[in-house]
Amino acid sequence: MPSPCLADAVAVHGVHRPHRTALVFNDRTVTYGELIELTQDYRGRLIELELPAGSTVCVPAHKSPETIALLLAAFHEGLVVLAPAPDLGAAALARLSQQARATHVLTATDVLTAEPVEGDETAAAGFSKADPKRTCLLLTTSGSTGTPKIVPIAATGFDAFAAWATAEFALSADDVALSYAPLNFDLALLDIWTFLQLGAQVVLVDQGKATDGAYVHAQVADHDVTFVQGVPMLYRLLTEAGTTFPSVREVIFTGDSVPAALLEPVSVDFPKARFHNIFGCTETNDSFIYEVDPAKLNGKMPIGRPIAGTDALVSEAGELLVATPFQTDGYLNSTLNADTFTVIDGRTFYRTGDLVTRDDDGLYSLQGRADWQVKVRGVRTNLQEVEQVISAHPEVLEAVVVPLPDEQAGVRLHAHVSRHPSSTLTSLRLRSHAGEHLPRHAIPTSVHITDVPLPRTSTGKPDRNLIKSNRLKEILT
Amino acid sequence: MTSKDIAAEIRAYVVAEYLAGEDASDLTGDYALIDNGVIDSLGLIRLISHLTETYQVSFDDIEFGPDNFRSLDAIVELVKTNSAATTAA
Repeated sequence: MPSPCLADAVAVHGVHRPHRTALVFNDRTVTYGELIELTQDYRGRLIELELPAGSTVCVPAHKSPETIALLLAAFHEGLVVLAPAPDLGAAALARLSQQARATHVLTATDVLTAEPVEGDETAAAGFSKADPKRTCLLLTTSGSTGTPKIVPIAATGFDAFAAWATAEFALSADDVALSYAPLNFDLALLDIWTFLQLGAQVVLVDQGKATDGAYVHAQVADHDVTFVQGVPMLYRLLTEAGTTFPSVREVIFTGDSVPAALLEPVSVDFPKARFHNIFGCTETNDSFIYEVDPAKLNGKMPIGRPIAGTDALVSEAGELLVATPFQTDGYLNSTLNADTFTVIDGRTFYRTGDLVTRDDDGLYSLQGRADWQVKVRGVRTNLQEVEQVISAHPEVLEAVVVPLPDEQAGVRLHAHVSRHPSSTLTSLRLRSHAGEHLPRHAIPTSVHITDVPLPRTSTGKPDRNLIKSNRLKEILT
Repeated sequence: MTSKDIAAEIRAYVVAEYLAGEDASDLTGDYALIDNGVIDSLGLIRLISHLTETYQVSFDDIEFGPDNFRSLDAIVELVKTNSAATTAA
């Protein structure tokens, strides 16, 4: 996908092993032969659209065999696919499509629908046109703004990544992956696209049922999954029942730090597995790996060491900079690149925004964020950006968004908002506004609206710590 | 239970559980609970368990997705159609 090699490889599997299972989705099984047939149908429809060669199209990443076939079809046709989150608000989706200069928004269900995008050069100002020779997939950062950053996935970078992952985890056509993350996450580069390139099987977790423990459990147990990759919440769901998964030989933790309490149940329930923690982001793909021995690990899990071919540097302020063989050539919005990418000794490094320490053995550990980022249900979310969206409501005077600890979600967001004197704004109306401009995980879980000015620090800034501790006290009483 | 009672109970549950301490006077039957983040994926699990206990709705037998819970009206409709406790209402 991310590369022409991938689309070709899948097509070859369709010919050589048409009866092997490619995808499992709920009660459906899709063989490689059927996947190729579906892909060919969509290719026919794409040709009818008569798009100029190398055009960009937007495909909201509904996680389904149809969407996967549509992406493969687009790669065959030499198109570039922008694949944003499927639950993005309509306004944000339109803006993103305009920025990427997408010609159509395509949706694949039983039939393929194509909605033309109304071009807007003002919205696209500062954005490069994606180069179809270098990329065929544009992902968006899981950041929280209405307009996430668009990250072109380098085609050669994907090929290098698939080769690395195949060797590192000794993957073959006999493996079965559980794909837990949404299709628009970079994690799909491994647990969907690398597996399809190999002719292996992928069990797609339905996004609508991703927090249903019994359902997720059945996906692993019923399909003899060998490879599981996911955020800590996935493992909490899988270990709830206390049963074992003897078919799983590789367990990957990613996306968030693993709570110590999870290690024992995981090591018991996956008796045949090796365990790795992987660290990465959309911009660079995976950069660090750590093989975990759940029985021996005391305290916090390190992110480990740079993976082969990756260079890592730590700035004076403690920020991690990485250069990987898989990384993007830069954001489509080129004005952002100077602040985020920096060339050192001829190699382009990405500033992760993560603060790290390195111990005497060369193991790196995360110490927090250099900016406003938190993780809500494993998704990187920028508090300042959520505040900006809420503050943009015409009846809002001032807004502060604070992260509160949550046993299940890791973090949930609380908004403390003062409204204009004559306003009758309610939290529900403010949520509607947030829902239009933010992905769901970034909509605050609780919203407090007040006519009282926000509390201030001695320097006159809103006192975030006081707002947070007041809210925590309120919840506990 | 009449359908009016069901609607009132479900509304009260949603307000108490997901909008605690907030002004819910403009919570209408068609307000988009999921799209607007009132009920997130973890909250949905709690809601389903509440409906299962209160109305003996067996979600195992129903093809359901987040769309069935998109608004108060949708939830009431789902319960009315599938509840063992309300078949006579």
